[in-house]
Order: sequence, then C-alpha cells, then structure tokens
Amino acid sequence: MPRSATARARAKPGKSAAAHRQAALLRLSTEIAAAQDEEAVYRSVVSGLHDEALGYNFLGVFLLDSESGDRVLQASIGWPDVPPDWRVHRGEGLSEQALLDGELHYTPDVTRESKYLPSLSTGSELDVPLRVDGQTIGVLVVESAEPNAFGDEDFEILAAAANQAAIAIGRARLLTAERQRADEHKALLDTMAVLSAELELSRVLQAVLERAVSLLGVTGGEVAIYEEQAQELVVVASQDIGKDSTGTRLKPGEGAMGTVARTHEPIIIPSYAEWLGRSTKYSDVTIHSVMAAPLLIGRRLVGAIATVHSDPARVFGPEDMRLLNLFAPQAAVAIENARLYTEAQRQKQYFEELLQNSPVAIVTLDREYRIVSCNPNFERLFGYSSSEAVGRNLDELITTEATRSEAEQYTREALDRAVHGIGRRRRKDGTLVDVEVLGVPVMVDGERVGLMGLYHDITELLRARQQAESANNAKSQFLASMSHELRTPLNAIIGYSEMLQEEAEDLGHAEFGGDLQKIHTAGRHLLSLINNVLDLSKIEAGRMELHLEDFDANAMLDDVVTTVRPLVDKNSNRLQVERADSLGIMRADLTKVRQMLLNLLSNACKFTENGKITLAAERGEDGGREIVTFSVTDTGIGMTPEQMDRLFEAFSQAEASTTSKYGGTGLGLAITRSFCDMMGGDVQVVSALGEGSTFTIRLPAAVEAVPAT
Amino acid sequence: MARILLVEDNEMNRDMLSRRLTRKGFEVETAVDGREGVEMAKTGEYDLILMDMSLPEIDGWEATRQLRAAPDTERTPIVALTAHAMAGDREKALEAGCDDYDTKPIELDRLLSKINALLENSP
Repeated sequence: MPRSATARARAKPGKSAAAHRQAALLRLSTEIAAAQDEEAVYRSVVSGLHDEALGYNFLGVFLLDSESGDRVLQASIGWPDVPPDWRVHRGEGLSEQALLDGELHYTPDVTRESKYLPSLSTGSELDVPLRVDGQTIGVLVVESAEPNAFGDEDFEILAAAANQAAIAIGRARLLTAERQRADEHKALLDTMAVLSAELELSRVLQAVLERAVSLLGVTGGEVAIYEEQAQELVVVASQDIGKDSTGTRLKPGEGAMGTVARTHEPIIIPSYAEWLGRSTKYSDVTIHSVMAAPLLIGRRLVGAIATVHSDPARVFGPEDMRLLNLFAPQAAVAIENARLYTEAQRQKQYFEELLQNSPVAIVTLDREYRIVSCNPNFERLFGYSSSEAVGRNLDELITTEATRSEAEQYTREALDRAVHGIGRRRRKDGTLVDVEVLGVPVMVDGERVGLMGLYHDITELLRARQQAESANNAKSQFLASMSHELRTPLNAIIGYSEMLQEEAEDLGHAEFGGDLQKIHTAGRHLLSLINNVLDLSKIEAGRMELHLEDFDANAMLDDVVTTVRPLVDKNSNRLQVERADSLGIMRADLTKVRQMLLNLLSNACKFTENGKITLAAERGEDGGREIVTFSVTDTGIGMTPEQMDRLFEAFSQAEASTTSKYGGTGLGLAITRSFCDMMGGDVQVVSALGEGSTFTIRLPAAVEAVPAT
Repeated sequence: MARILLVEDNEMNRDMLSRRLTRKGFEVETAVDGREGVEMAKTGEYDLILMDMSLPEIDGWEATRQLRAAPDTERTPIVALTAHAMAGDREKALEAGCDDYDTKPIELDRLLSKINALLENSP
C-alpha cells in the first residue's frame, strides 16, 4: 500500500491530539451539514479541518477538470498567494498521484520531491482522494509547515473526512441538478400544449417520484392526485413499494397520504405496521416506515407524495423531510398545470363546439384580412370548404365588384370596433346572397390579433318582409276601396229616405213618415257599423293615424250636443251639459275626440230611458300637464263588475242578449279606448247595476305627435 | 234667392242634395267634375259653391285653388264636402282655400246652418 510505504508515524501528545482530531471531525460534520451547495461543502471541508495544533496548516480542495486533466482549486485555507481558481496543470505537483490511483499519498518531506511546486514554506503533505460514486473527482491536500508531521491517526481521520466530504458533494450535486430540473420542468409545463395533459402528467409525476426515491435513498414511493369532485386521492405514480399501486383510491384520513391530505402537514411514521392510521390497501406489502407530504398550491390540496422504507434499519429524519419538501412543490406544480391545461383544453373545445354548431356563419381573419378559420355554416353559406378559404383574403373571396369597396370598409373598421350592416355577398358558384354582417375585433391580452366576421343569411327574411309588406298594402287597399264601395250606395239609402220623409211631410202623406224613418235609421246604423269595423281594422293594423289640430273645445262640444240631440229625445231622456265657460283651445285629433264623445253619449242614450244624461267637461292639471276631462253620466241600467271587466274589449257587449235588445257592434268602447291611448289619455268607467254609469275620458290639452311606427 | 253651385260626381248624391236644397229655397246648378265646376263657377256668378273633394279630371282641392286664383271667384264662399273619417281632409280643404267643410253623408240641418252662416257674412 502506498500509504504504509510512505508513512512514518510521528509522536504527538496522545490524548490532546486525539481530542483535537475528534473536534476537527465534529466541526467538519457540522459545517458540511449546513452546506447548501457544492461550493459550501468545499469551504466547510477546509475550514472545518483547519487546525494549527494538529499541523493541518494549509488545506486545499482541487477538482479534476476532466477535459484538460488540470486540477482546479475550489477552496483553500492558509495559502495566501494563490488565485481563487488556481490551476495546477497535468503532470505538475504532488497531488496528481492521489487522483490517478485513488489512494492516499503521504510526502514526509516535500523539499526532496522534484514535482513539488514551491509556493509555500511547507514541510510535509498529505493528498487524500475525493471519491464520489466510485470515481475520483478531486483531491484534498493537507500540508504542514513541519516535515514528518502526519501519522496513522491523521491518515484515518482525513480519510473519514474525505469520505464525508464526498457524500456531501454527491448530495449537493444531486440537489443542484434537482433544482435545475425542477425549474426546467416548470418551464416545460408552463408551455406544455401539445401532449395530452393526462399522459404528460403521470409521466412527469413518475419522473419526480423516481428522483425523489433515488435522492432520499428510500425503497420506493408513490404520488397521488386529489380529485376534488370525488374528494378522494388517486395514486397515479408508484415505484418499488412491493406492488403497482396506481389507481388506488384513498379517502382523506385513510393511510399516510390520506392523513397529510387532511392535516396539510407532512408526517413521518417510524413503524407503519403499528400505526393506527394505516390503510388496509397496503397490508399485502412490506412497509416499515413512511414519510408523506401534502401537495399544495397555496392552501389548496392537489395531491400527496409518500416515500417508504421496507428496511427496518432505515429511519426517516429531519434531513429526509427537508429533501421531500423539495420535491413536493414540483409535483404540485405539475398537477396544477395539468389541471389548468385540461381546463384550457375543455374551454377551447367548448368554444370550438359553439363555433362549429353555430347557426351563424363565422370566419376569423388575421390582421392582413386573411382567413384564419371558418365554421361549417360559413362553408355552407358561401360554398367554399375550409381548406379553400383559409389563407385567402376574405373580401376578394366573397364580394362582388359592386360590393367590394363597401365590404372592405367594413373589414377595416372591424379591426377597431364592432360594425354591423346588411349587404350582398357572392357564393362560390357566383350566386348572390343577402346577409346581415357583424364584424368585431379579436383582442387577446389587450393585443389586437385579428377580427371575426359573422354572417346571417337574410334572403328568406327579406322575402318574408316583402311579402308581408305587399300583403299589408293589399289589405289596406281593400279596406279603403271597400269603405268607398259600401258607403256610396248606403249614402243613397240614407239620403233618399231622409229626403222622401221631408217630401212626404210637404205633400201631406205623413202616414209614410214612420216607415221612411225606419229605413233612414237602419241605414245610419249600418253606416256606423261599417265605420267602426273599418276603424278597428285600421287600429289593429297599426295604420290609424292622428291628425292633430288646434280647435275650440266649446265649439266642438256644441257640435256634439247638436248631433246627439235626436238620440237623447228618442228614449225621453234629458241632457244636461256642465262645463266651464271656456275650455279653451285643445290640440288633438278633432274627428276622433268627437267620435269618442258621440260613442259615449249614444251608449248612454241607448241604455237609459226616461232618465238624465249629463255631459261634463273641465280643464285641469295632472302631474304638471294640462288635461281636459270629459265625462258622460247616465241613470240607465248600469253594469255588474263582471260586465265592466270586458267592457273595453272588441266585440264584447256586456251580454249577447244586450246586442239583440239594444243593437250596436260592441266596438265603440274598444275604439274609444284605442283613440285615448293614441292621444296619451285614458278612459275609465264607474257603474252600479240598475243605477247607471259614468264614463270619463281624460286627454292632454295639447296632444303630442307620436312618431309613426 | 241665393244661387248655389254643387260640384259632385256621384249622380245620386248630386240628385239628392240638389233637390233637397231646391226645396229649401235655393237656386241650385250642378257640375259633374272639377273642370266643369271651375268653368261654371267663373261665369255663373254663384253666391256659394259646394265642392266634393274627390272628383275626376280636377279634384276638389285643385279646383278650389284655381277658383281662389281667379278674380271673379276669389271671394266666393266654398264649402268642402268630404267623406267620413278622412281626418286631415278638413285642414287640407281649408288650406286650399275653402271657407268651411262638412262630411258626407250630409246632415241637412248641419249643412244648412253652415251655408246660412257663410251667406250672411259674405258681401
């Protein structure tokens, strides 16, 4: 052995030297344990071993640069004049030998060695190889100012120190690599978009688990995902625990992982077989001790990780816990990213479904107005397949020469704001289609990335509208001509019967008077029926118009009273008119106001016999606007509340029997209410059966024109 | 005896109204369309004209405007006769230069009171 060959023991004060060596080793252990990375390990090796009393005056750690074969200084103590990354070239210096053969080498008197690099006033030198995973990676150099400074005890203690250092270096290297991998993984996961999330997730978690098992030096382990909906953990990665536990489901509180899922705190279970919380799902495998940690995103549980020892000689300690906590965030981030990715995929799929099945033709464009995508309805509407359309300029594809510039205008504007319009576009087969167009900019994170166009085929709609309009015109035309054609002969009947009555009186044939009067009355009745039906059909068609004019309300009332007088007399009623001296000028549709009042008055006359009919009018104010109130009160038959309910509906006299007894169409009040509505007023009724009724019309003194609908 | 020109295209209406007015003591002449109405009015020296508004050849509004533009007839009272429910006809008639208007079917008493009021006020 080279060591025994070159070593010569040198006497030292026994007990004190041994104590010093123990102290140095302890110091080294403590400092190494605190080292977080490789460089800290090197620093703690040289500073921990530095001990003048032992003659460990100058110390240095060199690592082999495998490319050049040089030794590069990592840390040193006691050497004042060397640069921090001092290189000792291949073939130079004493310490190379330990690197080459992996053995400890002792040089009792360096001055005798030709290879010695005389940088220090050194007596003796000890070169200890640093071996990690069976490979010599560097050398620990310990020098004393005295020659023949070191003996067997030094060899032993320094060999042990080198061993400790090597383990620490190996672990530090793994940790560094692990941190790097964690960073890389996070970056990978963040941009992960192509692979199926689930496949990727179980692979990532398996990889995380494998590294955790190897770094912790445990038998095996598993990783589970927390399924929020089922409120269960599901094992998705499993390694060397005696079986493949993938797919195992655990309730919160069940087993080690279930326990950490509930407490959100890591746990060490020294003896699993005796632990009360153990799960029966693992009774078929040999588990001695378990260490588990929850996987958390903030305070939200996403899963759990567990590592196991099946060897009773191995136990988990705080250092193991620290290491496990390095892996937990990696796994948690992987799970969370997979969840986010899955959610994003679902969202994407959801919106794609919407797009695919939308009844509207949808196309998206880039900022150069080229088609990026289109949905099946776009294909159907314009006859281009998606592959034909994509990449083409939208407006070149589907406009005609006549509509090109208008369409391009839309497209340009739609890059900035929503535009809406109606236009004509061209299909692939050259036919034209009327469309409603909506264009909107597409913004992603505040950046305008393009625009979206929505097309709705309105050919049918336009056709239907045209048909409806022409049908409506035909109806109006029919009504107008009918009104004329019916009235002309009727006017003759009314006029001639009236004239004959006059002539009969003049010629002394009063006996014809009664019959002629009946013809005349029937004619007038028929005329009013025709007029009412025509009015109502106009109202229902929305074609009744207001013709507003200024008129003297008193003169209008005089006119109405004159007209209604014969009706009042017919049933031996009295008419009383109560009104302010000056109702003033009203602005309204005179014809309609007259018609409404005549309606109410003729109703009153019809349903009252030997009674009193009162027409009252006054001008007042209501809610800041001037109104004119007309009321017609009779002492006639009156109505029940049920009869009043349907009073203003068309074709509803209080009872069918009423019609036969009193005549009329049942349209007068429906028309009256519509006219009131049109003029911004209202009509109301108060009545008691057998006691009479009061109808009240309230109209604005100045009716405002309503825009035509 | 007041002379009235009745311009009315409907034969029965023309016949009825002219006979009824005659019996009330008026001297009535008739025209069957707007053109004839204008020609007769310019030469006939009538005290009042009853003008149907929907007439062939020249309608009542145009006929009224022409009469108002002619020196002989610019001050002759004209009463427009319009169909029922044609709201707005009254304004149109007054705008064209009519002095009053009445709706058909004719209520003789009402029409007579309008005719008499105009005749009393005219020079």
